[in-house]
Amino acid sequence: MTETTVILVLVVVTALGFDFTNGFHDTANAMATSIATGALRPKVAVALSGILNLIGAFLSVEVALTVSNAVVRIQNSDGTPKDSLTSDGGTALLLIVLAGLVGSIVWNLFTWLLGLPSSSSHALFGGLIGATIAGLGWAGVNWNGDGSKLDGVVGKVILPALLSPVIAGVVAAVGTWLIYKITVGVAARFTDNGFRWGQIGSASLVSLAHGTNDAQKTMGVITLALIASGEWTDTKSIPFWVKASCALAIAAGTYLGGWRIIRTLGKGLVEIAPPQGMAAESSSAAVILASSHLGFALSTTHVATGSILGSGVGKPGAQVRWRVAGRMVAAWLITLPSAAVVGALMWFLGDAIGGLGGALVIFLVLLAAAGYMYWHSRKTPVDHNNVNDEWDETAERREPAGTAA
Amino acid sequence: MSNLGFALEGAWKVLLAGLLLGAGLPAIFALGIRSMAFGAGGDAEVDHAPPHPVGRIGAYLLFAVVLLAVVLGITFIVAGGFGKALSFEHIYPTIVDK
Repeated sequence: MTETTVILVLVVVTALGFDFTNGFHDTANAMATSIATGALRPKVAVALSGILNLIGAFLSVEVALTVSNAVVRIQNSDGTPKDSLTSDGGTALLLIVLAGLVGSIVWNLFTWLLGLPSSSSHALFGGLIGATIAGLGWAGVNWNGDGSKLDGVVGKVILPALLSPVIAGVVAAVGTWLIYKITVGVAARFTDNGFRWGQIGSASLVSLAHGTNDAQKTMGVITLALIASGEWTDTKSIPFWVKASCALAIAAGTYLGGWRIIRTLGKGLVEIAPPQGMAAESSSAAVILASSHLGFALSTTHVATGSILGSGVGKPGAQVRWRVAGRMVAAWLITLPSAAVVGALMWFLGDAIGGLGGALVIFLVLLAAAGYMYWHSRKTPVDHNNVNDEWDETAERREPAGTAA
Repeated sequence: MSNLGFALEGAWKVLLAGLLLGAGLPAIFALGIRSMAFGAGGDAEVDHAPPHPVGRIGAYLLFAVVLLAVVLGITFIVAGGFGKALSFEHIYPTIVDK
């Protein structure tokens, strides 16, 4: 086995690790409302979401090889890596991708520890951007596109992130308001049962869409690494094992469930009733599907959070905890730069040591950081047993002691 | 046109589609529930009105509309995954190549 092969294996393992965190970070987007309203028991909800993510991931036949092209310039327009990065057997490109992935995972785990629903795609892009700046300089990043279409960091990441929560929030608020207007005079017991089914159906759609959208990104990254190291040449298809392992990783992550985030989204923002849950998930499903149809890239997390907020605004007399919402928005703003900083640091570290040793060291840094955060999380565990406990504002703010951002 | 222009152009389309499907369909579903309660009568409604069987039929019709839209949504996801798209150029949806 050559040095490059070992680095490639590290990249693949790390990419699957990212896919796994992507799954459990985003379980909340689809299932937080159904769990909070008791429409589904917590374990049933994550199992359903996991299965639908698995199916969704297998459905995405389209090749997302150029997924990183929107933000960094490490590939040609047909998806093959730039020649300048593969002249040494691909190590240069593999190190950028590995450092970027480490940055994404570290940030995903950190926000999970704080129970904040930050965007996994922002973390991925942020990590890659940081590693690219470190490796290739500022010009390696596609900041603004070429002006012919929505492109670049601004067009594909920043603008959609600003617009999509607002759109989803407006849609959910209108939906919630309409539902409560229409069902005035119907007994609550009767509506709750009906909306329970509507909620499960709409949440399932969100899960399915998530599987098709998000697993693809990791598949693209792994295939790019395979091409860079000469293990794969076809830019029009991806190896079956890549698809199968990505699908399994995201589904397993979803099934594990990011309970801390589910709790924040389901209980922290708004006290959700079944009609609101259905309005929120319908809004998420519609906005995600409509925008992927129109080629408007956005983050499932931003949409889901916007929808849940909207369902609180639309229900007369409902309480919205704006303080919790404020913390989330702060986390969104710093996700991309933070993941970028970690990605860049990892690249410098890996590059300074060089070769296989450098790759191994940053992989070990990742394991250490992940282990530390897991250990920290066990001090205040959140799981399917206490995910729905009453939200106590003072206690929640104290919760991850010493780590508050 | 700048990125901002493209983004705003995409955003209002998403908002329009979102309102139509994301708020419209739940509203139809809510109408279905209201109609169902009208059909069931008694404890289903706050005013304990007598049951009206026609409400049940109306409810099933409304639920069918929502179900049809959901099936279309799933078809859209699946078709997208196979490199196809859903076209509405013949009013009724057909699956075409992208």
